[in-house]
Formats: sequence, C-alpha cells, structure tokens
Amino acid sequence: MASISSRRLAKELNEIHAQGCPVGIELKQADDFVTWRFSIEVMGESLYKGEKHLLQFRFDPSYPISSPAVQFVVEDGREAPIHPHVYSNGHICASILGNEWSPVLSVVAVCVTLQSMLASCKKKERPVDNDRYVKNAPDNPKKTRFHYDGPYLFLRYLPATATRD
Amino acid sequence: MGNSSSSSGRNHQDEAVDFGSLSPQWFTGPRDWNQAVVSQLICQRKLAPFYRPLEEFDSSWDDDQILAARKEPVDATGEAGAVEAGARIEAASANPPRPGHSRRPNSIKEPVKPEAAIYRNAVECPICFLYYPPNINHSRCCDQAICTECFVQIKRNEPTTTHLVSEPAACPYCVQDNFGVVYTAPPWRAGIGSEGSPFPWSDAPKASPSDTRVGQLTHKRRQKSFSHDSPDVVTTDQIRPDWEAKLAAVRAAVARRANRRIIMRQVGDRLIPVGVTSGRVHAIGEEGQTEGDNGGRRSRRRHQQPQQGFDQLLGTMGIAGQDLEELMIMEAMRLSLIEHEDQQRKEAEEKRKKEAEEAAQNRDTPEAGTSSLDVPSAHDEASAPSSSSTSNLASFTSTSSQPAATPISSSRTGSPSPSPSRANLLSSNGDASRPNPPPFSTLNAALTTTAAAAAVLGASSAPGAGSVGSSVNGITNVPTFQVDNAPTPAPDASSSSLDPHASNEPLPSSPDTDEHQFAKLTISGNQASNPE
Repeated sequence: MASISSRRLAKELNEIHAQGCPVGIELKQADDFVTWRFSIEVMGESLYKGEKHLLQFRFDPSYPISSPAVQFVVEDGREAPIHPHVYSNGHICASILGNEWSPVLSVVAVCVTLQSMLASCKKKERPVDNDRYVKNAPDNPKKTRFHYDGPYLFLRYLPATATRD
Repeated sequence: MGNSSSSSGRNHQDEAVDFGSLSPQWFTGPRDWNQAVVSQLICQRKLAPFYRPLEEFDSSWDDDQILAARKEPVDATGEAGAVEAGARIEAASANPPRPGHSRRPNSIKEPVKPEAAIYRNAVECPICFLYYPPNINHSRCCDQAICTECFVQIKRNEPTTTHLVSEPAACPYCVQDNFGVVYTAPPWRAGIGSEGSPFPWSDAPKASPSDTRVGQLTHKRRQKSFSHDSPDVVTTDQIRPDWEAKLAAVRAAVARRANRRIIMRQVGDRLIPVGVTSGRVHAIGEEGQTEGDNGGRRSRRRHQQPQQGFDQLLGTMGIAGQDLEELMIMEAMRLSLIEHEDQQRKEAEEKRKKEAEEAAQNRDTPEAGTSSLDVPSAHDEASAPSSSSTSNLASFTSTSSQPAATPISSSRTGSPSPSPSRANLLSSNGDASRPNPPPFSTLNAALTTTAAAAAVLGASSAPGAGSVGSSVNGITNVPTFQVDNAPTPAPDASSSSLDPHASNEPLPSSPDTDEHQFAKLTISGNQASNPE
C-alpha cells in the first residue's frame, strides 16, 4: 500500500492540476512521489527579473511530518539565484525547510515562500560562508543543520543527523 | 435476541473504542510512542481512537459508499490487531442491538450502520489529508483538527550530541510550544468503556438518531485555548514519557566522551593511536592518584584492552577518513602541532634522551623510538620504573565542543567497575557520533585552543599500525594524545591543555587536571613531512 507521503502528495498534485500553481510557479516534473521540480520566477519588479530557476523537492516516506529536501537545481548550466540565503550549490537556508517546517505546509506553500524570499531580496549576494559550506556540503540539504538568526542565517552550520527517523 | 447480540457485540469490540481502534490504521513508521499510554488515553476518551480514514468524502454518500471509501488498515508489524479490530467492528455492527424492537420495518428504509454513520460530517485532517469522523482531536492552542495518527507522530526533536537540548514539540498549525490536543468524545459510547451507556443507534428511529446524535458531533469552534498542563490536554510528551530519559542518556554519553582520551604512541615521528581511555572520571581519578606523576599517565592505559581499543579506533579512523570535517579538524590540530613544535622540540628532545638513558638502565625494554607499536598494559606499568617514562609522554588536550575524533567506544574488558549502562551509552554514542561530525566551531576551537595536536591522520594509515598491541611492553616514550571532547569543558582542561611546559608538576587529583602534567611534547618528527 502506498505510504502516507504518496497519498498526501497525490492529493497535493491533484490540487495543483485542478487549481494550477500560483503565478510565477510552474510544475515541471512530478513523475513520482520522490522528486518534484518546479520552475520559479519572481513576478514584477525585483532583482531577479527575467530569471527563472528550477526548484527541486525530494520527499521521504515520512513527509509531511518531516520536511521535504528543497534546493535549487544547479546542473545542466542552471544556477541557483544569487541570494544571501541561497548557496551556490542550490542549498537554501530557510527556517521553514528546517526546524520551522510544519506538516501543514505544502509543496506549493514552500514554492510561494521561496518566491517571496527572492522577491524581497535587497542585494544579490551569496551567503558569507558560501565557499566554505559548498566545499563540504552534504548532497541532501536536510543533512545540514542551518543556523537561522536574523537576515544572515548562515554564519555557522552544524551537520545535522544523517537521517530523520 | 437483541440483548444477546448486544453483549456478544461488545465482546467482539473489546479492541475497539467508539468504532475506532487502539492502534494505528495507516502509519507504518516506527511506533516510538508509548502505545500503552496511547491506548489508555483512547479508552479514557481523552484522545480520539484510530479510525480507518476515508480517502475521500462527500456528504452525499450513503453508508455503503462511506464504508467502501474506508482505507484498508495496514497490517502493521506485530500489530495484527488493527485489521482484526476493524473486522470485528463490522461483524458486531452488522447486527446492531435493537432490544425489544423489530428491526424489519426500519432496517429496510434506513439501514443504520453505525460504523458508517460515525463518518457523517467527516473532517479532513490537515496533515494527512484523510477524512475522519468528526470526533477528532483538536489542537489545544489554535483548535485545529488533527487525527490521532498524525498526532502520535509529532514529537520533540531527538537530542543529539551537538544539540543537547530538547524543546517541546510545537503546534504544526500555530507553532506554539508544548503541542497538545483536546478531544471531545461523542455523546455515545461503543466498545471499551461503553458498559451502561446507551448505544448510539439503538433503536430510536423516530428521533432519527443519525441526525440528532451524530449531528451534535459537529465541532463548535471554541473560544479559548487550553493550557498545555490542563488535564483535558494530551501533549506529545505524555505519549512519549521517555523523552527525558533519552535526553539524559545523550547528555551522559557526551559527558562520558568528555573524559575520554585517545592515547597515541610515538613511533618515529608519528603518533599512532593505541587506544582510548575510560570516560569514567572516578576510575581514572582513583588510579591516577595512587601512582604519582608518572603512574598517572600510565594508568590511563591500564584500562585498555589494547587490541579492542585499537580495532575500534581504526574503525573510527575510517569514519574520520570519510568525513571531511573531521579530517579538517585533525589537519588543524596537526598544523597546530607543527606550530608549537619548534618551541617544544628542543626541550623535549633533551628530556627524552635523558629519560631514555635512565630507562635503558632500569630495564630491558625496548627503547624510545623503536618501531614496536604495542600498547603498554597495566602489567608494564607495574614493572616499569615510573620515572623513566615521564618525559616522553606527550599529551594534548583540545577542549573542543565536539569530539575531535569521533568518540571511540572504549570497551576495555579489564575495567574494574564497568558501568552498567555502558552498552547503552556506547551504542548511543556510536549512533550519535557518526551523523554528527564536529561543527566548524570545533575547528576554531581546535585551532585556537589546542596547544599541540598529533598527526592523527597519518596515524590512521601508519604502516605499522596493524601490529599495535602485539607484545612489547614498557615502551618508555609514549606520547599520549588526549582529545577532550567535552562540550562542557572539564574544569581544568582548557587551561592545562594549552600549556606545553606544564610537565613535572605534582599530579593533581582530578582526571582533568591530571592532563596537566602530560603536556610534554615529545614529537620530534620533521615538520615538513606531512604524516599522510
């Protein structure tokens, strides 16, 4: 029997198909309940005008109790948006993807949050510890325990536990 | 007839409460909550039973459609009761008790199926998106619905060795601390605890039971929130009463690790890990005290089961090899070592020569700098003249907030007083340590606070490593590399570890101050050659 994550994702997907994504967000790939991809674009005036980035979700069977692993795709010539919370490897330091994840949030809600994170950006720059982090970052951003404090949330990171149980 | 079927029906439902189950219906993950507590809370009607959810729900559905939409319960491992309970409910409810009444006329027109009727006004759980009877739990704080199945999955974050606190789970809806739920049971009862209470649909056709009674279940939004310590509230901690014990276990493990030392032996210009000391303070303290200055050093090794300790150490090194951060820390320590080497080498060399001469005179054991790699045992200790070995012992204590090398399970068989909880601590150590390599803050700590450090990297692949622990005893120059993993720095560790000239001081009593005298650097290797 399908796991609860599949059930829930199926319902989220139905909703996306039925109602469509919010403006600037497009579903690009959802062939299974493991990896989904969305393109994300900031509408209106912003530092990211004209940019389109690919956002990837990876789900484990404990979704939605545990958060999805969300990052920007940086392969095939794609780049992560330059943002003080986005590392050049695509990892995102956002509390809702970490300790403030709530099972009430959905995939679309995450997309919208990240879209607004970009939209509200004042200065395009990488996190201050980008090089250090990217050098040693785990493949799965969920294995990073980001330190969220204030606008610059990445002064320190702790490798988190390997897997959530 | 009706009465007999009623009583038999109750017997059939002894696993069921209000047509729900005491165990999960779809959750397949680890049931790490206290099932006994959960069952009791369900029986007390303080928590909604585990109902078979509906995949979808439409208020226009009839009973059969509702029943068909019910999710098949999972056959959880070791919890076969879920399926059976569901079957029992159906069997029991297929013949609902109608004492003293002919069922014929009504049953045709309105076949009351309580197990379907409970789903009238079904509520969607906002987390799993499944539909449940309207008697569902609600968050104590913001009055949002949550099914029992989702509720039992919400828990505190497990404490880890890098995160030694455990905050109460927050409400998934409003993020308020101390998440808890309130449950309002239906006005009727069935199954466990239903003795004496009127059966919900027991023959009240004229009053149209499903409308009035079930209709009452529609949740009225409440005006105020409950405090998390209200007796009506079930918190996530209540169903996981062991969270404090878990936290204490992790803390104890870290505390143990804080006192653990990796012992290194100098071979040529390299340091070879030969074992790990006990993390237990009292054992070290006792033994170290009685032996005086030199004996104190050796007493650390006395507890070793050399081969085992080394095997485990190698395993740890393997992990370290894979873990870049640990490598970085070790490299940092190595660089730190080189940094200090110039200052210390000269003095150390002199001392070593002098001591080696004494040692040579005193006994027939291999001399300093030989290639033998074995670990001096407690017996050596006794036989070796204590004075001869002092100056060649080098120890480095880094007081980092994290293990510089992953904690090594020191399974020394000769331990005089094995702690009963050792197995637990060790296993938790292992679990916790692998996924939790030291943070960068540790690197800083290592860089700034470590007076000297050993080339652990090189040691891990030292060619002669395999022979460690073989036979030779009484090596005189055995540098002791001590990594203090204490997140809460031991009283003296921070100060003593940084002082490379602190040797030959009287042996202090605490194991941490004990390190003091070890700060004799004897690494005489050439600095340019990278150990690895």
